[in-house]
Amino acid sequence: MNLSVIWYLREFLSFEWVHKFLFVKTAPLTTPPYFRDYPLLTGKECTHCLACMMICPVPGGIEVLMTREDACHLPVTQSRPPGSDTWNPVIYPGHCIRCGLCVEVCPEGVLMSGRVIEFQFIDNTAFTSTFQLEVDHTLCMRCGNCSIACPVNKEVDPALGGGAPPSSMESVMLVTGGELKILNEDKCTGCKTCETACPNMAIRVVRQVEGIHQEDEEE
Amino acid sequence: MKKLVDVSIPIGPVHPCWKEPVRIKCETSGERVLSAEVELGYMKKGIEKIMRGRPWQEVMFLAERVCGICSVIHNMVFIEAMEEISGISLPPRAAYLRVIVNELDRMQSHLIANFSYCYTIEHETLAMYLLDVREQVLDQLERVTGARINTAYMIPGGVRFDLMEEDSGALRTALREIETGVKRYMKMFSSGPLISLRSRGIAVFSREDAIKARVVGPTARASGIPESDLRSRHPTYIKLGFQPVWREEGDNFARVMVRFDEILQSIDLIQKALDTLPEGDIRGGGICKAGETAYSGEAPRGELRYFIKTDEYGRVVDITIQTPSIMNIEACTHSMLKGVTSLADVTSTFISADPCIACMER
Amino acid sequence: MSLLQQIKNKVRSKSIHVTFVDVGSCNGCDIEVLACLAPRYDIEQYGIYVHNNPREADILLVMGVMTPQWEDKLRILWNKIPDPKVAIAVGNCPISGCVFNRRESYVDPPVSKHIPIAAEVPGCPPRPTEILNAILSLAPVVFRDYEEKMK
Repeated sequence: MNLSVIWYLREFLSFEWVHKFLFVKTAPLTTPPYFRDYPLLTGKECTHCLACMMICPVPGGIEVLMTREDACHLPVTQSRPPGSDTWNPVIYPGHCIRCGLCVEVCPEGVLMSGRVIEFQFIDNTAFTSTFQLEVDHTLCMRCGNCSIACPVNKEVDPALGGGAPPSSMESVMLVTGGELKILNEDKCTGCKTCETACPNMAIRVVRQVEGIHQEDEEE
Repeated sequence: MKKLVDVSIPIGPVHPCWKEPVRIKCETSGERVLSAEVELGYMKKGIEKIMRGRPWQEVMFLAERVCGICSVIHNMVFIEAMEEISGISLPPRAAYLRVIVNELDRMQSHLIANFSYCYTIEHETLAMYLLDVREQVLDQLERVTGARINTAYMIPGGVRFDLMEEDSGALRTALREIETGVKRYMKMFSSGPLISLRSRGIAVFSREDAIKARVVGPTARASGIPESDLRSRHPTYIKLGFQPVWREEGDNFARVMVRFDEILQSIDLIQKALDTLPEGDIRGGGICKAGETAYSGEAPRGELRYFIKTDEYGRVVDITIQTPSIMNIEACTHSMLKGVTSLADVTSTFISADPCIACMER
Repeated sequence: MSLLQQIKNKVRSKSIHVTFVDVGSCNGCDIEVLACLAPRYDIEQYGIYVHNNPREADILLVMGVMTPQWEDKLRILWNKIPDPKVAIAVGNCPISGCVFNRRESYVDPPVSKHIPIAAEVPGCPPRPTEILNAILSLAPVVFRDYEEKMK
C-alpha cells in the first residue's frame, strides 16, 4: 500500500508533470491533410456524366446542378472566371458521409478530398460501373412510363419531349408488341429515373461496381 | 412463501456509465443481486431490412454503421463474405493491409472498452491516459485510411488506398510510442491495489459456465477458452503466426487484462505485417455474383457472423448479422451479475463484458 | 443592463454543462463526443463539463436517428432541462437520417420534428474539433442576456 502512495507521489510531483499541468495548453486543433473532408471543387470542367451521383451510398448526398460556381455550397480551390452557368457537383453536408467514393469515381477529377486523388494517381486505381435493367414482367403493366421518362431516350428521340409515342429502336427501352423490351442496355447511365417513374416497381436498375487497377493509358 | 427479493432496481436506460440506452433490472436482497434482466429495444433501426435489394457499394456503408466502434471488422467480414460468394481472389498486399487496418481498429476498440471500465470504477486518471493513447491509435488509422471512425477501406477484391513508404515509417514510430504507453498503463492497472479491490474476484465466470453460455471474444478468453479466437483460422493471420492470448481467472480483472494483452499482440501483428508486406497490386477487381454463404470473423468483442444470399447481379437478397454482444450481454446478465455483492459492481461488471448496444440491436 | 445580468453572462460563458442522449445512433458520434474528453482535445479547459443528468445541463447533444422507442421519451428529457437550454444535433443522423433514412426502416428523422434544434454539426461522424467548435460558438450567442431577451 505504501509503495503505491510513493509511486503516485513520484508520478505527480515530478517536475515534468507539474510543469505540464500548469503551463501546457493543448496543441492548436488542426485537421490533418490526410483527412477525407467534404469534397472540394478542383476547377476542372464537369461533363455531367453523373458518375458521382450513381455511386453515392447516401440518399441525397450529392447532386449535379446547372449553377454558377459561387452558388455551390463548396469553397472553390481554383476559381474560374465568373460567367455563365455550368454543370457543377453540389455536396450537401448533413447528408454526405465523407466516404470519398465520388472523388474516386469521377473521370474528370472535378472533386478533391484529402489524399484520395493523390493516391488514385499513384496507384492508378479506379472504379468501373456497369448498369443493367431488370424487368419483372408479371408486375409490368406496359404503360411505357419508363421509356418516356428515360433521359437517354429523350436525347435519342427528340420527338419524345413533344408528346409523341416513343418509337426509335435506338432507345434504351420500348414497349412493342405488348411487351416492354430492353433494346440497348449499354446506353443506360444508371440514373434510376425509370425506377422512380414506374408505378408498379416492375423495372429495377442494377448498378454493378468493380474496383480495379486501371490499364495504362495510350498516351 | 419466504420473501427473498427486497427491491427491484432499474439501471438505465440513460445512465452515466453506459453511453448507449439499455436498461438492466436487478432484483436485490440487501445489496446482493439475486437475478438480473436486460431490457432492449431503444436502438432498433432495422438495418438488415434496409440492406435487402442493394448492391455491395451501398450495403458496405450500412454494414459499417451497424457499430461505430468496431466498424472496420463489419466492413471486412461483409466484404470477405461477398468475396467468398463470388470467388474473388485477393492480392496478397491487400490482405496484409486489411490486417493492419483491422488490428488498428481492434486496438482503439479495446482501449475505449478499458477506458469505460476505468471510468466506471471511478479511476478517472487511468481512464484519461487510455483515452489519450486511443487518440494516437486513431491518428494512425486516419493516416492509413483517411477517416477516424467509419473508414470505408475495404472493397471486394482489395482495398481502396495503398500504404505509402513514409506512412509506414510514421506508423512504426507511432506504434513504438503506443506500446510504451500501453505497457505503462497496463502495469498501473495490474499493480494498483484499489483497482484490485474493485476488480479481482468480482463476478467470476468459470470455464464451464462460459461454455454453457456460449460467450465469445475477450470475455470467453478471460474464462480460459482460447479456441474462441477466430483469427487463428483466418489465412492471413495464420501466415503471421497468430497465437491467441487467454487467462483463466474469469473475473473483471482478467477480462480487462486480456484486452490489454490483445492490444500488445495487435501491435506485434501490425509490426510483423509491415515487415513482411508484399509488393504488388492492391485491387484485383471482380464482380459480385449469385450465391449464399455464412462467414465469420473475429470482431473486437468476439465472433461476428454474416449470413448472406445474393442474386445474379450481386445484390443482397437476404442477410442476417449475428453480433458478438448479444452472447456476451446475455451471459453477463444471467450468469455474471448473479451473486454480485454490491450495486456498484453491477455497472462495472456489465462494462467489463464490453457491451455494444448498437451492434446488438442494429 | 443590470449588474446581475452581467455577472450571469460572465458565469455562463465560463461554465457550460453538457448532457448527451443517444436516440439510436451507431455509436460513432458517441465515441467522438467521448473523445472530446481526451487530453488531446480537453473539453474541460474551455469550461465545458459533460454530465449525464439533464437537470443540471444547459446544452443537450442529440445523436442518432430517432428510433420509435424514443419518440415520447426525448420530449420528456428535453422538458427536464432547466432554462436557458439549447439542443445541438451531432452527426448526420439527427439532421437527415444518414444512410438509415430509407424505405422500410424504423427510424423517424429528423430530430427537429420532436424538439427544437439550435445548431447542427454535420459529418458521419463529425471530428471532435467540429463538435467542440459548435458548442463554443453557439453557447455565448444563446446564453448572453438571456433574461433581457425573455422580457
